Amino acid sequence: MDQVLSMLFNGLSSSSIILLTSLGLAITFGLMRVINMAHGEFLMIGAYTTYCVQNFFKAYLPNVFDLYYFAAIAAAFAITFAFGCVLEKLVISRLYGREIDSLLATWGISLILQQAARSIFGSQGVFVTSPSFLSGGITLGGNTYSFNRLFILLVVAFCLLLVWFIQYQSNFGRQMRAVMQNRPMAQCMGINSRRVDCITFGIGSGLAGIAGCSVALLGSIDSTIGQSYIVNSFMAVVLGGVGKLLGTVFGSGIIGFFSILFENFTSSSIAKAIVLLIVIIFLQKKPQGLFVVRSRSLDE
Amino acid sequence: MNFIKKHGQNVCFAVIVLVLALMPLLLTAGVIKSTMVIFLGKCICFAIVAIGLDLIWGYTGILSLGHGLFFALGAYGMGMYLKLQATNGNITDFMKTGGLTELPRIWQAFEPLPMALVLLVLIPALLAGIIGFFIFRNRVKGVYFSIISQALTWAAYSIFIAMSPYTNGNVGITEIDPIVGSIRGAKHIGNLYLLFYAALAIMILIYAVAYFLVKSKFGRLLIAIRDGENRTYFSGYCVSDYKNFIYVLSAIIAAIAGALFVNFNGSITPSQMTISYSITMIIWVAVGGRGTLIGAVIGAFVINLCEYNLSSGAFVDIWQYIIGAIFCITILFFKGGIVGIVTEQLPALLHRRKENS
Repeated sequence: MDQVLSMLFNGLSSSSIILLTSLGLAITFGLMRVINMAHGEFLMIGAYTTYCVQNFFKAYLPNVFDLYYFAAIAAAFAITFAFGCVLEKLVISRLYGREIDSLLATWGISLILQQAARSIFGSQGVFVTSPSFLSGGITLGGNTYSFNRLFILLVVAFCLLLVWFIQYQSNFGRQMRAVMQNRPMAQCMGINSRRVDCITFGIGSGLAGIAGCSVALLGSIDSTIGQSYIVNSFMAVVLGGVGKLLGTVFGSGIIGFFSILFENFTSSSIAKAIVLLIVIIFLQKKPQGLFVVRSRSLDE
Repeated sequence: MNFIKKHGQNVCFAVIVLVLALMPLLLTAGVIKSTMVIFLGKCICFAIVAIGLDLIWGYTGILSLGHGLFFALGAYGMGMYLKLQATNGNITDFMKTGGLTELPRIWQAFEPLPMALVLLVLIPALLAGIIGFFIFRNRVKGVYFSIISQALTWAAYSIFIAMSPYTNGNVGITEIDPIVGSIRGAKHIGNLYLLFYAALAIMILIYAVAYFLVKSKFGRLLIAIRDGENRTYFSGYCVSDYKNFIYVLSAIIAAIAGALFVNFNGSITPSQMTISYSITMIIWVAVGGRGTLIGAVIGAFVINLCEYNLSSGAFVDIWQYIIGAIFCITILFFKGGIVGIVTEQLPALLHRRKENS
């Protein structure tokens, strides 16, 4: 029983991390049809921002050190949001409708960002000290649930709610969906589509920043940290069905839980490989993913 | 003038081949070092992969982010044969460390040379065939194919690392001599010449095959698939079979290039199998010029020569900035790469200048 519970918790925790990293992708890829290979590097920027904010608090505000994490989340979102907007204006805005080219151009960006991180912070990994209220965990029936991971669950829930609210409840979300579904018509209705593009991409990148903030708690931060998450997040978005928020939630859940399940039988890297292979085989059955946006057009 | 316009690509390729063929003579004359010739040999291998990639990306419009996998499979096949030559068919050190007591069955298969040569082509071809059969049959296309190929490469990489008793994990297969015998040092310079000219001959052969393919009706069909896949379906062609064929062919080309590469490099590691290495290959084709065979060859040579000269010394840190920026700018503004600049954008610019004056 304990084992099952701990497995469930690990599965939930690992899915939540995948979900957090793929939420931003669900927006940039799912809504805007831009394949942002630099998404992982935005995550890295978020993680390094956390590191910098931590150092700042250590040096100047040591008596409220524990609060640094909340400042870091805000800073990570703000910085990656700004980066995202700049990237959209400079590069992405020239590549709408050229999906494959957007993939390649953002790969170039990601090479530059990785090297920049190496030049600034060195190639050695750096560590973030968890705030004291996140150290330790609850012990329930022989299992320990670490506060770190519980906290990440909370962050994910918060982000998910936020995205849902922005996308489906707010006025801006309505504009956003209108532009993505039918650009010329939305423009006719007086929506500034360029502004919407820019902010939408910024939000997607900002979510990557928050994800970076969370993964900073889990291990060392180096210039390749983004690459280790990006494959899983892309697969989660594709598996869930492009353009559906619920799909991304299910996609991440499936990948997360199955990885943990297979880890019981084999090593963790092989487990991840097996899960990816299973997902690919599943996509043979449903090439569009779990949740399909129905459309009558031949080339979607 | 008309001749150059019509056969410019081939003339350009002939010039590249001639220059390369002169290199060993320069080495004998003492103008360049033998490391340079070995490096150019590697470039030839890269140019071969680039031709294969250009066939599927430039001509057919399938962007594979996993060609490093096929390259590495070919290289590992060759590497296993060469390693067994070095150990006289005995079990290697890393297998002993990994807990194996006798040579695994899969390694035994690579001991005879003909068998090794067949297998190093057959395994990537079969893998590509299976992947292609399922993926193309379901009409997975565009970026979805790219993302899936990326995930497959990542999975294969993880498995390769995890099976370290068989593959030596991160270290890969090292300390091997090329198939013609050692090429290092002045004593073995004949071997180096032999290997270099063999590689050059293989590049010419593969270029010729690819040229023949793209000039034939088959090549027209590939371009038709790239520009209007559904229309090609409706015209009565089974697009998925064509795609699958060209995918397998380019995997074979990548495997051959890998097998050659390991001879020049003297080792093979899983880093050649990663996604980032696969995208590096894409960069060669993009910068050279997609959709033209010569573009792929030029791109592979230009980028690698730049990297060779810049990534040592003062530029080592900024090389990645340069390559990232070049790639990004090429995609944004010069879709045709170097070849596109020379054949289209430059003449258009000159034309406009002439009209204005």
